Parts: sequence; C-alpha cells; structure tokens
Amino acid sequence: MSPTKIPGELSVSFRYTPGVGNTAFFEGLRDRAVFLGSRCEDCGVTSVPARIFCERCLAELEPSLECGPEGELVSWTLVRVDVDDQPLERPVTYGLVRLDGADTVLLHRLLHTGGEPAIGERVRAVFTSPREGSMLDVEGFAPVADGAGP
Amino acid sequence: MEAMALRVGVAGIGWSGFSRTTEGTSYKELMFEAARSAYADAGVDPRSDIDSFVCCSEDIEEGTSIFDEYVPDQLGAVQRPVQTVASDGLFGVATAVMLIRSGVASAVAVESHSKASDVVSLGRVDRFAMDPVLNRPLGVSPTALAGLEMRRWLHVTGRSESECADVAARNRAHAATNRRASYADVHDPTPLFDPLTREQTAEPADGCVVLVLTTEERTPEGSVFIDGVGWSQDAPSVESRDWDRAAAAERAARAAYDRAGVEPGDVELAEVDDTFAYKQLQHLEALGLSDLAEDRVNPSGGALGEGHLREANGLARALACIEGLRSGDARVGLAQSWRGVPSTSAAVAVMRR
Ligand SMILES: [Zn+2]
Repeated sequence: MSPTKIPGELSVSFRYTPGVGNTAFFEGLRDRAVFLGSRCEDCGVTSVPARIFCERCLAELEPSLECGPEGELVSWTLVRVDVDDQPLERPVTYGLVRLDGADTVLLHRLLHTGGEPAIGERVRAVFTSPREGSMLDVEGFAPVADGAGP
Repeated sequence: MEAMALRVGVAGIGWSGFSRTTEGTSYKELMFEAARSAYADAGVDPRSDIDSFVCCSEDIEEGTSIFDEYVPDQLGAVQRPVQTVASDGLFGVATAVMLIRSGVASAVAVESHSKASDVVSLGRVDRFAMDPVLNRPLGVSPTALAGLEMRRWLHVTGRSESECADVAARNRAHAATNRRASYADVHDPTPLFDPLTREQTAEPADGCVVLVLTTEERTPEGSVFIDGVGWSQDAPSVESRDWDRAAAAERAARAAYDRAGVEPGDVELAEVDDTFAYKQLQHLEALGLSDLAEDRVNPSGGALGEGHLREANGLARALACIEGLRSGDARVGLAQSWRGVPSTSAAVAVMRR
C-alpha cells in the first residue's frame, strides 16, 4: 500500500419501502400482470406506477387505474458500457414507454430482435413467470408487430 | 430598479487543480489552495472578514458521511457560520446572495470541489442516485438517461447528431487556450449510449473553486456583480419528468433574468452546462440564447474541455464567466449549471460588470 492512497469502502445495506402506491403497483404486476396507475382528475394526468399523491397539485390519489400493456416508444438507447465504463459483451437496448392510458413513461429493456426500435413505435410488455412483485416482473417491451400480443 | 439597491459583487475568485488527477494532494489541500487564492484576490482575511461560508458537496461522492463536518478547517471557517448545500455550486452562490441581501452577512465564501480521482467506482456512485425501487433494479448506468434524452431531443427539435458532434469539437477547440482544460485533445467518437458518444461526454476531473461574494460597499471598484440568480427542479422521477426540454433550466433562467432586469438579448457571454454536447444546445434553447454567437458560448471549453467537476461544475462555469467579464470581454454574462444524470436540477446566475 502506498502512503499516498488509503483504501476505503462503503458496505452498507438497505431495505427500501416502496410505499402504498408502488406496493399496489407491484402487487398488480405480480398477481395480475397489469400496470396500475393513479389518475388526478383535476390535473388530467395519469401516473404509472401508481402513487398516492399528485406531484402537480398535491391531491391525494388512489392506485386504481389499469394502463397498458401496450404503449408507445418515447425514446430508446443502446447501452454499450456497464456502470464501470467497461464495454458490454452484448449491448442492451433500453427504452421509455408511455403505456396506453398513461401520461408518464416507464424505463425498461427493449426486446427487439429484428431492426432498430423507432420513436412512436407500438410496443407491448412481456411479463416474466413466476413474478415476485418488482420491476423485474417485466422482462421488457417488444414490438407489437413481432406478434408479442395476445 | 429596486433590485439594484442591494447588489452582490464578486470580490475574489480562486481555483486549484483542474486536471485529470491531483495525485498526492487531498481535497482539503485543493480547497485550501483555492480559498487562499480567492481571499488574496479579494484582499480579505477569512478569520475576520468573511461572515459566512457555504460549501456544496454530496456525502457519497466524498466517501464520508456528514461531509459538511469536514469543510471548515481548510477554509478558515473553524468556529464560524458554515453550511453545506447538497447540490451544485451555483446553488451555493444563490444561498450566498440570499445571505448578503437579507443582511445576515456582508461577505460570504462559496466553495465546491471535485476529487473524482479518489472515487474508484464513480459510475456506481452515480447509479446509486437512481430510484432504488423503480429504476435501480434494472442495473443500468444513469448515463443511459442521457442517451434516451438526447435521442428524444433530436427527435422533438429536428436537430442532428452532427450538430452535437460540432459542439464537442468546438468546445474542445476553445479549451486549447484555457490553462484549466485537460480534455482539449479528445477525439473519440466511440458510441457509449447511442446516440451519445464518448467525445460528447464530459470526463471526470479534479478541481476546486472558491468565490468571495460581498455587499456592494465591500466590492472593489470595477468588479463583477451577480445581479440575478434562479434555480429550479423538474419532477426528479424518470417516469414523470419532462423528456422534451430542459424545463428546470427554463424556469431558473426566467427567475434570474427577471431579478437582474436582463433579457436574453442582453447576454454577451454564456458559460452553460455541457456535461453532454446535446445539453449545451438544449440549455441554450432553455436560456433563450440559441442565437448567441458560437464564440460567445463556453469560450472556456466548458466541461467537455475542462472536465466534469461534479458539484463544482456550476462554479467552474461561473469562474470562467467572471474572468470573461473582468477582462472586458463582455458586460453581461450568464453562468448555468445542471446537476447531471439522473437529476433535473438547474441554476442560473446573471452577471454584470
Ligand atoms: Zn393533480
């Protein structure tokens, strides 16, 4: 060890409480494979995942509205490096998806196998099985044209 | 104008580092060096002449909990009023302006620094800023958000990838004559988060900036004045933020312009956030400065040229703007910061000489 560099490490652990709104959202994913959102009628805005307050007017909301499972691709990127800036052996595509009925977007993997994704393209959620109640209950979003529909 | 009655001047500027690494020098020594220069520039004794000290830092990137406890000694601030703002340095400038204009202090030192070279896992620090419930489980680097935002922005505005590449090339060319710039020679079009490339991404650097702000009476003749500050946040969540524009920078700019009694057309020099090349163009739009001549935008080379100084980015932009105004290069200048991915915080300072 050099006297000019003293090593240090942060090893701490957490158990984050998703809260009432996000828990309802995760239960919807796990038990029924649906995306639960919350509608603020005053603002005319539907937020997914569900939440118990409107960030625009601070009204109290209910986690009560189902959105998706199809939606529109708002943007996408091809991730070529990992969190340590090392090249990924297999780049991963991520997208922002605005689910039908929602005014907000979800960040998740895109499962395109053919050509490049396109902004405005129709996509559909692919769920994992079994599901445990987290964002990873969604495998990602695939193009509707790929026959990922019901 | 009422606002002019209580002007806040820049009595002193100081900096240290501004290199890829500062081997052997601790963050405390970087702060000491920058503070000493700023106090000398202002002609003040920090032990008696500075009423309040404002630092801007974030615990986790310093590798120390309650990091604000670690700042007084190297600034001359032991047993004095000290506070830490957990945000970019321009938010510290805003805090100093409030301290002075409210009469709480007549001289305030504002400090921010980066010792990024001490952080072995910088990308993991950034990833820890992602929402732990909704986003972090995906494991993706938050810089993916920049790739997503850049593609969306290109789509919405009809701007091109080559315009963004031009920004990177131009800023690095500007940086060639800036002694604080250590990334003037980067030409690396490797895609990282398509369409974002390495040369369009500011890379980490070490450095520290200290400004001494004072009441007008205590500001030397011919100094630069901070006549307007503004700051704002969008919804922080990836899900509900505005993906089509830099909404926080728009609101911060409006507030700063109004407080300064300045219109975008009056601005002759702008040092704006260019953490990613497209952000410079997006921020110029938000600031109403899209028509400002290219050589009046980030003549320092910005963060693409100087390197990414974490929470000190905004002070680095302010420092370059103050130097430009001091040199007589412009009469009205603007500095703007953004707190980087995954944040939506922006601050603006409008200055006059
Ligand atoms: Zn509402």
